[in-house]
Amino acid sequence: MKKVIVHPERCVGCMQCMPACAVAHSRSRNLFAAILESPVPRPRIHVGAGLYHEGFPNRCRHCDPAPCLLACLPGAIFRDEELDTVLIDPDKCINCASCAMACPFGVIRYHEDCHAPPGKVVAVKCDNCLERQEQGLIPACVEVCKVNALTFEEPGEALKRKTDEVARSVSLGVSQTELPSGFARFALLIGHKRKELHVGRP
Amino acid sequence: MKHVIIGNGIAGISAAETIRSMTPDADIVMIGDETAPPYCRPMISMVLEGSITGDRLPIRDADFYERAGIRAVLGHRVSAIDVEGKSVHIGNEQPIPFDRLLLATGADPRPIRAENRHLGNIFFMRTQEHVRGMLQALPQVRRALILGGGLVGFKAAYGLLRRGIEVTMLIRSGYPLSQQVDSHAGRMILEELVSRGLEVRVETDVAAFDGNGAVRRAHLSDGTEVPCDMVVVGKGVLPALGFVPRDKISVDLGILVDEHLRTTAPDIYAAGDVAESMDIARNSRWVNAIWPEAVAQGRIAGMNMAGRTVAYKGSLSRNVIRIFGLDVMTAGIVNPPGDDRYKIVSAIDRRRKSYRKLVFHEDRLVGMTLVNDIEQGGVLVALIQGGVAVRIPGEKMLAPGFNCRRLFI
Amino acid sequence: MNDKYAGRTITRDGQLLLEKAEKDRVETVWDRFENQLPQCGYCEMGLSCRICVMGPCRIDPFGEGPQKGVCGADADIIVARNLCRMIAAGAASHSDHGRDLIEVLDEVAKGKASGYRIRDAEKLKRVASEYGISSDGKDDLKIAEQLAYAMQEDFGTRKKALTLLRRAPAKRRQVWDKLGIAPRGIDRETAEMMHRTHMGVDNNWQSLLLQALRNALSDGWGGSMIATELSDILFGTPKPAATAVNVGVLKKDQVNIIVHGHNPVVSEMVLLACRSEDLLQLAASKGAAGINLAGVCCTGNELLMRSGVAMAGNHLTTELVLTTGAVDMMIVDYQCIMPSLGTVAACYHTRMVSTSDKARFPGMEHREFHPDNAAEEARALVKEAIENFTNRGEVFIPVEPVNAVGGFSVETILGALGGTPQPLIDALKSGTIRGAVGIVGCNNPRIRQDFGHVTLAKRLIENDILVVDTGCAAVATAKAGFKVADAAQMAGPGLREICSALGIPPVLHVGSCVDNVRILVLASALANALGTDISDLPIAGAAPEWYSEKAVAIGAYFVASGVYTVLGPMPPVTGSMNVVKLLTEGLEDVVGATFSVEPDPEKAALAIRRHIEEKRRSLGLPAQKV
Repeated sequence: MKKVIVHPERCVGCMQCMPACAVAHSRSRNLFAAILESPVPRPRIHVGAGLYHEGFPNRCRHCDPAPCLLACLPGAIFRDEELDTVLIDPDKCINCASCAMACPFGVIRYHEDCHAPPGKVVAVKCDNCLERQEQGLIPACVEVCKVNALTFEEPGEALKRKTDEVARSVSLGVSQTELPSGFARFALLIGHKRKELHVGRP
Repeated sequence: MKHVIIGNGIAGISAAETIRSMTPDADIVMIGDETAPPYCRPMISMVLEGSITGDRLPIRDADFYERAGIRAVLGHRVSAIDVEGKSVHIGNEQPIPFDRLLLATGADPRPIRAENRHLGNIFFMRTQEHVRGMLQALPQVRRALILGGGLVGFKAAYGLLRRGIEVTMLIRSGYPLSQQVDSHAGRMILEELVSRGLEVRVETDVAAFDGNGAVRRAHLSDGTEVPCDMVVVGKGVLPALGFVPRDKISVDLGILVDEHLRTTAPDIYAAGDVAESMDIARNSRWVNAIWPEAVAQGRIAGMNMAGRTVAYKGSLSRNVIRIFGLDVMTAGIVNPPGDDRYKIVSAIDRRRKSYRKLVFHEDRLVGMTLVNDIEQGGVLVALIQGGVAVRIPGEKMLAPGFNCRRLFI
Repeated sequence: MNDKYAGRTITRDGQLLLEKAEKDRVETVWDRFENQLPQCGYCEMGLSCRICVMGPCRIDPFGEGPQKGVCGADADIIVARNLCRMIAAGAASHSDHGRDLIEVLDEVAKGKASGYRIRDAEKLKRVASEYGISSDGKDDLKIAEQLAYAMQEDFGTRKKALTLLRRAPAKRRQVWDKLGIAPRGIDRETAEMMHRTHMGVDNNWQSLLLQALRNALSDGWGGSMIATELSDILFGTPKPAATAVNVGVLKKDQVNIIVHGHNPVVSEMVLLACRSEDLLQLAASKGAAGINLAGVCCTGNELLMRSGVAMAGNHLTTELVLTTGAVDMMIVDYQCIMPSLGTVAACYHTRMVSTSDKARFPGMEHREFHPDNAAEEARALVKEAIENFTNRGEVFIPVEPVNAVGGFSVETILGALGGTPQPLIDALKSGTIRGAVGIVGCNNPRIRQDFGHVTLAKRLIENDILVVDTGCAAVATAKAGFKVADAAQMAGPGLREICSALGIPPVLHVGSCVDNVRILVLASALANALGTDISDLPIAGAAPEWYSEKAVAIGAYFVASGVYTVLGPMPPVTGSMNVVKLLTEGLEDVVGATFSVEPDPEKAALAIRRHIEEKRRSLGLPAQKV
């Protein structure tokens, strides 16, 4: 089954996935209308800054077993076995933040939402864009990511690609300069950012 | 295989469900003293507060036992265990035999010694029955007295304040939740509560109550008096192990368990508030009587009972609570001893009104206190539970946007 | 000291005021920088384009996503266009500053600018003669009128080459002519740059960058140079004067007024008002021991150079100075003024006043200055500042100021050398002084404040390299104590000898950012004396902590003039290896100098020293191995 796979080494920190996710979970599904909605829609994927100020897309891993599911006091968090997705029922949620304490990845947020009872602050997290998938679309974050830091594919295929990349990189005779030029450019930037961060810090 | 589970709190329920999912043919008996369907104990304070109604408490359907194929023996407490004979005694009833036994009897509120403690409207707050009683008394209550600044007393105080009751809290230390937070966070919490009308008396306790049928006044150990028409006692809990034969099953504060949740008696396990396991942060035995540990211990005990050898890393004290304008999350060793084995880093952000304190032991995070900006606190909890070696300066973990990507160089 | 503050700035006043800002819940530029992280990689690499609405577009640096914008522009074109527009903006800023000074000169000539006058009539005549305007039989105002007109022509489309290009060595002018990058008109080059970067105009990344060099030169040998020369004419050519720097220059017992921004047309009028007898008396009547004028950023540098007015801080401390609670009024004009200042000031009693019709800010009162009303408006503002003195709350000035000496115009330097550059050349030839470096530019929260400037200056003077500096860099080294004669002790033996003999510090404050042209003039003088091109000299430029578009323009005109320039922060060019290679290697063959990017000032110092020794070797001078 296809899943959203994250390749953090490619994230350029443009944060396009965040507004795309928010808009996909708005009432109007349109960027310009969405920002005027009340409550304003919020993303379920969050781009953090890594140690060298590089981007890092952080989304729910839909763990199995899910720590949030086990921690949930009112049993509002459940798993859709068929779609392999962990979901939160906003009607049952009591906003106790036990899931925040349990989630090792820090992907849950608490706010009002157009899918929740009006005026109620609830726990909100990635839902694998199930509604979009039902319509034959791919998750919103993947759709907008132009550097393929987020892909929607069979995990097996993604892992095979990784295996091939690792195999290539340890092959005899392959040197750093043979990396595709794109990596060289981004590596130049990231290398500079690392240097900048260390300059003169106590 | 006959599994008997004593206790139908979440530890027992989790164990039963795990056993059932792993061994569909197993025979499971559950003995519990509460007759209501399994419910979420931490949520009872929300019923007192009024933010939910009692019908939101059950976390399993009324026919849960039936559908899971569990023979439920409810409304009873076990009186004795025959360890050699492998059977459980409930008074003079027919003993119930077992192949594997789980002790998940939870904990009971610690009693107080004050005179006239059995007057009406003096409550513990452990069960939904207790809260039902409190709600019945509430219309006649103007002033409430809370004994203890721990989680129970604290939640009772918060709930009653939200109901518009005048509340006085008696605590032994300088600030509430002293087991959970450090003095800085404690003061922030105290200030918030005081600003919402809570009256706090420190370093004092109740010597006696008086009243006519129902409590009317408390006499404190410092000689003063506090008028009150309701009292909530939150002086902690004691593992419910009165029935455990201590010569056969080792007991300290709680029932001692190994990493497979086994007690010192063969085929007998323990889980939940009654169990004393290794505390990951303290690296010593401890009773961490919190909901998520009861769930984890119940599940793993169930796995082991069902025949799959699974190790439990150990428990970790932790808590998250929202109080008026403050959110507080704590985990592990929050107030380390003052020696230099422990390193503390902390930061106050006055603009975000947040406070963050991290406690390190060598290169492992062993404790944390967060006030506000708690959303990603689980990342830090996972670091404590995992015993992850932290190779970046601790200060770098204080930013609210700290994420796992900053950890790995 | 909390590591968090020490990691942000090397300066003690900065650290203490950061603590105060945190206590007062004042948001600073550093907080906003953290909040912006991660910054978008497309933009950092120059790979995002917003020039037209068929876009906005971005190029995937990993080669799989889109490789061309909607119009068909590839990474090279998009990166080049973005860099070009930065240079256009920077050049435009400097040149507009120059234009405003011409306006004042013109109004002075017409007698319509009270408060302003010609202070250096000799310089007026010299510069006028460069424009072909003879001084015979004319009074100064007549010469001024004609000079103003002639300089305005440099801005337009009538000329084929800027007048002041003639100051450059002949060899350098030949390089420009051969490349076709000798600037023709100051505004013209900016307009053409904007034209070329419009969608569907110049789509050759090399030709775009060549125009960028021409545009930058129209700033360096045009707008900025006019600005500096006219500032000298109107306000006096700088001479060495004792001064002081850092926030300790604010006085608890005096009215404190800070001028911020760039154009001395505003700050000089404020200075005049601060010295007037009746306002001093008013201040005394309010219990103040005097009126203390201080500057931040370049307008402060202008006052420092000419009148020894103290500097309270540089770019990253412009918010922090307000947290002292001691600033009764901050008067700003344009450039480098953070729009957050009004919010910061609102936490204290400080009055914030904007003065330029081109530059308004949230939370600031607007009091427009024009040549005909500037003197009066300045007096009115100073009076209001005095009245605000009694509104102070808690005052926190946590440090003592550091002494410094500024005022090293080319005229001063040559004067100190005895009238010609020969003594300097002799020192260069013998190797007593290995070379000279101009350290210029701003602060940037990416780099620990002042660490880049101070470390680089230290390593260079330790190795007998004379350092001249401008702008925020100059304030940084002054704060670190490099601008007193005693600082010669920190220099290597050769430089120490020269500095002690001349009684000058090893790091010379050459002025504001437009005054970077003084470095060009000095370099030209040296090159002419040696009969070489600027690119043959053992000199270099460095901008260890730059942030602004103006800095890109300055860097570009330095390199286009033949000066190897090392940058700290990386410009947004990594999206195109072609552009990177041209800027860091290819330009050597084109203009005889290149850029280099090195955020670590220790490494930058090594690179510069190596470069200097190489140039020495090529000139046949004794050279060392670095």
